[in-house]
Amino acid sequence: MTTGIVYHPAYLSHEQHPAHPERKERLSYTLDQLEEEGIWDDPRIIRITPAPANEADISAVHSEEYITFLRTMSRTGGYIDFDTNIPPGLYDSARLAAGGAIAAADAVSNGSVENAFALVRPPGHHARSGMGAGFCYLNNMAIMVRRIQKNGYKKVMILDWDAHHGDGTQDIFYNDASVFFSSIHQSPFYPGSGYISETGYGEGEGYTVNMPVPAGTTDVSYRYLFTKVIEPLAHEFRPDFIAVSAGQDNHFTDPLTGLALTARGYAEMMQRAVRLSGDICEGRLVAVLEGGYSVEAGLPYTNLGVIAAMAGMDLTGIREPGAYETLLSGAVDPSAHLQVIETTRDLSAILAQYWRCFRDLA
Amino acid sequence: MLTGMDIGGTNTDVACISDDIFCVKVPNELGFAAALEHVPAKGRLAVSTSQPLNRVIAGSPLKVQSIIIPGPGLYYPGGVSGAINHRGDLVEAVDPEEVRRILEHNPADVLSISAKFSVRNPGIEEAIAEIAREYYPVEKIAVSHVLGRLNFPARIATTELNACMKETVLGISGMIREHIADFYYFKGDGGLVAPGLAHQNPGLLYNSSSAAVALGAYYLSREKDCLVIDIGGTTTDQVLLRDGKPVMERIRINDRNTLIESVAAQSLPYGGDSYIGERLEPTRIGNALAFGGAEPTLTDALNCCGHSIGDSARSLVMDPDIAYEAVRYYVSLLSDAVLSYKPKKIVGTGYLARWLIPLLSRKTGVPASLPEHGESANAVGVAVSRVSMTLWGHFDTGRRRAVINGELVPLPAWNDDDDLIAACREKVREMALRAGADPEDLKEICLVYFNSYDVVRQGYRNETIADVVMQVAPGITAGVL
Ligand SMILES: [Zn+2]
Repeated sequence: MTTGIVYHPAYLSHEQHPAHPERKERLSYTLDQLEEEGIWDDPRIIRITPAPANEADISAVHSEEYITFLRTMSRTGGYIDFDTNIPPGLYDSARLAAGGAIAAADAVSNGSVENAFALVRPPGHHARSGMGAGFCYLNNMAIMVRRIQKNGYKKVMILDWDAHHGDGTQDIFYNDASVFFSSIHQSPFYPGSGYISETGYGEGEGYTVNMPVPAGTTDVSYRYLFTKVIEPLAHEFRPDFIAVSAGQDNHFTDPLTGLALTARGYAEMMQRAVRLSGDICEGRLVAVLEGGYSVEAGLPYTNLGVIAAMAGMDLTGIREPGAYETLLSGAVDPSAHLQVIETTRDLSAILAQYWRCFRDLA
Repeated sequence: MLTGMDIGGTNTDVACISDDIFCVKVPNELGFAAALEHVPAKGRLAVSTSQPLNRVIAGSPLKVQSIIIPGPGLYYPGGVSGAINHRGDLVEAVDPEEVRRILEHNPADVLSISAKFSVRNPGIEEAIAEIAREYYPVEKIAVSHVLGRLNFPARIATTELNACMKETVLGISGMIREHIADFYYFKGDGGLVAPGLAHQNPGLLYNSSSAAVALGAYYLSREKDCLVIDIGGTTTDQVLLRDGKPVMERIRINDRNTLIESVAAQSLPYGGDSYIGERLEPTRIGNALAFGGAEPTLTDALNCCGHSIGDSARSLVMDPDIAYEAVRYYVSLLSDAVLSYKPKKIVGTGYLARWLIPLLSRKTGVPASLPEHGESANAVGVAVSRVSMTLWGHFDTGRRRAVINGELVPLPAWNDDDDLIAACREKVREMALRAGADPEDLKEICLVYFNSYDVVRQGYRNETIADVVMQVAPGITAGVL
């Protein structure tokens, strides 16, 4: 098994301003961890250096007006929303992040690696066709999916497990039956969307599935959702490719969110995604980094866990240092899982209109 | 006076360089002291020990006990408890009783101790080494933080090798010091190092013969872009020079990546002492017939083709057809290897170069030169080298912690990146001078890597972390250029 890791030294350099949560420090500790683990020497790992995305790939997702706006604003500096300003030079950073997603898609499409993880910054899943939001400018995931389709793999299943709802990605594919969008996210929470009733529109009706979970949700509930929702849907949809929006802000130490996933939980979730892709689409799996703001206690361990799972490494040692144990018990809400079970029952009832696997259950 | 000494497999080469170059070859069977007799009392002595160390590694009969402290992350079976994180914080404690149990139940010849992220805080390794000294003498214990850089699996592999080599290096130092108090070791990257650092990290000395030849060939020929071909007794090494410098690589030993940097060299398993039975064999039985041996070798085959090397009459017992075929086979193998580099020029060194390099040049069509004293290019390279070193620094204002080459040092004060870079430049300069560097060689200190970022907590950036790699590059000392 070989896993591509897409990385460029410039992914460290983008910063809206130095104290912003989405800053340089985010990937620095992860890179230390990967370097110390000897990841780049490992025969199971292939490092891929990306090029910036080209105009054709970007305009397959984003409107001409928005592209022009971004390009103009990044000459002088500008502003999208309260969380998302445009520092000078942003367009080049964003193009290189999208290019990273494309490089991952291409490497898996042409078989030079079995699966790939694009360790990109800035993230993308809140960006819509016509506007950025929530630290995101270009929708790396959507640009990657269009490229995968161009490479000849028509049906793509997106699994967005960032703590925030991937509203930008959902919007881009909302009426598209070739792209199945699924998302697990904290709710109620930013950006305020991602309810179980949002299931797609027109041609795409039934091809969007949202799994909102309450604050305090743990590994157990994520495993449950894989078993009850994601895996059955994937087997019925039968995608040619699985694409993961690998947000790492569900970690129990994340300062911006309230979930309680562990590094081991992340690794096991990715392990299940790897097995699923092996069962359904000859292992074709790509992941792109989204959020994740626990720079010191979370990201080094979750990113390593995700990579270890993708490369088929032993996950026994994937965990946080013992010093963080008390933080975990503080983050867990024991009642969360019951809520997840109840929401899943309601969701299954809605999905039964579109998917046989939920009818069989009922 | 600069003196270089290269301890090879069968001979020790000595080169003394002042206004003249004086070279001598001493057979190892006469003992190390015989070679040291040629070392002048005045001036600087540098010693390359690649052969004894290569032997330790190649056929090491030593049993290594390796204590590994992996902490969170990738899994290592049999790991010992304790953990340091990426910032150098002790996040899980060591259990001294566990360490004692392991030391008692798995005795071995030498001990290697490696903790993940120990280069950010050597505390865990030092604590375990202190316990281990009750079980192993200090010359049999190697620790990983002295390697200074991240890459835990490569650090484990290198530390295990260091544990095996340490006693041999200390032994060689002892022998040299009986004759001469001050000397340097020649490293695999082509620089010199003070013995103290080499005792901590003997891997620095591994595989140094290619670097010695590369420096010597450049010094003697002044060819900046060429392929150096060194024909030794049992191997023929090829080293590419670009702009007067050999190409470097991080080497693998026993299928494991290490942190040992050495000159990139290709090697053919044939040389002047290669035995010829029915054909040329990649084996050494002994000297050539022409040098008092019992079996014919490639050297004897050259004599059968009309040359007169040594007591050439003794070589003529060989079947001339087999001799001719052996030489033809050798030249064609080497010519294929050489052409893969597409070199513009060949520089030949080693004892047989004079006879074989012209044949090679004719076969490949690549012009060749044979510098004077080329038969001792290795010892010349050792003599003309300079003190070099690399500083691996990690600075964390939040933790008030600075680590240089795995050792905690006082945190310097700095205002901006340029300040810190300047402080590191001064530090490496000071370290090099203390190690005996010629100040002329310190005019160029290169910044290999720099990264710094702010640590932000509760929306404020009040801490900074910086990584610096700074190097006094290996090469030829300014005094002789
Ligand atoms: Zn997020």
